[in-house]
Amino acid sequence: MLYKVCRVYAYSDADRQDLFQEIVIQLWKAYPKFKGDSKISTWLYRVALNTAISGLRKKKNLVTSFEPTSIPEPAGVCHQEHSEEERFQQMYQAIEQLNAVEKAIVMLYMEDRTYLEMEEILGLSQGNLRVKMNRIKEKLRQLTKNY
Amino acid sequence: MELDDLKQTWNQNQSTKPLNTDIMELIQHKSYGPLAALKKAFRKQIVLMAIIPAYFIMLNVDDLHALSNNVILWSYIAFCLGVIIFSYYNYRLVNKMEGMDNMVKVNLEQQVNLLERSMKWKKTGLMAALLFFILLIEIVPYFQHYRMLDKWHSVPAAIRYVVYAALFVLQYFANTWVNERRYGRHLKYLKELVKEMQ
Repeated sequence: MLYKVCRVYAYSDADRQDLFQEIVIQLWKAYPKFKGDSKISTWLYRVALNTAISGLRKKKNLVTSFEPTSIPEPAGVCHQEHSEEERFQQMYQAIEQLNAVEKAIVMLYMEDRTYLEMEEILGLSQGNLRVKMNRIKEKLRQLTKNY
Repeated sequence: MELDDLKQTWNQNQSTKPLNTDIMELIQHKSYGPLAALKKAFRKQIVLMAIIPAYFIMLNVDDLHALSNNVILWSYIAFCLGVIIFSYYNYRLVNKMEGMDNMVKVNLEQQVNLLERSMKWKKTGLMAALLFFILLIEIVPYFQHYRMLDKWHSVPAAIRYVVYAALFVLQYFANTWVNERRYGRHLKYLKELVKEMQ
């Protein structure tokens, strides 16, 4: 799970290692205060996402969102030839263009978390999450429409 | 292409370089984020503000009588104490900001709130410190004589007040510029995220 948070919020191997290290340190610091009020997975997601989203990292690596632009299609590649892996990479590139909150929602959705769990992790109401999820799907559809 | 089509691949994909997962090694490292840097800066400020007045006292320790009557020095010590209290308050604020186990929305709102509060306190503190020193410069020469202050008091009052006003304006803009450089971008980013979560 931590790998995936790092993958979504950091774009190079070095950044991913930095973020992973920072998340582990924050988990280590926060663990003595964990009272078991929530599921351990909910707590883990909270710490990991808060660390990634709040920019609790080196200044140069502060997470920023990008202005959405459509993903360029690799030259000379037919639509039918796109493998699952290529499509997956394209989707990752599209996810990179989302803002930090949208990334968190996508990540939890892909991890098959229920809307109730998402609410407990993010603090957004389930209704709001559903609306946002639909908008994000539409946004991603637009970003990857060439595929 | 739909997001749902990729769920299975998502759960299998491990194409990135494996991360160092040696927990014992990782937790030996210090946190290097902006909050850790802020905490370090406040710690340094506290130590520095304790060392400087102590150094001045040590320099004048031979003449305890002159030392005890030196209004400027004691005022400076009072100022340093103020800075220490302010830095400690900020240090505690940053400590609170480091709690990462809240809901994401709550955590972001808390960070925005604490950062704004810290900036407001800093602004007020600096204004109060400047006012304190101006009052000191204006009042002390009536009780004790310092060559520099006497010289300054020989300047017409109107010019002195204009200089003080200019100092206030300069400090206001300098403080705004420093805050913007240090926290502005980060605060703006956090505020955008909070807005996004409404």
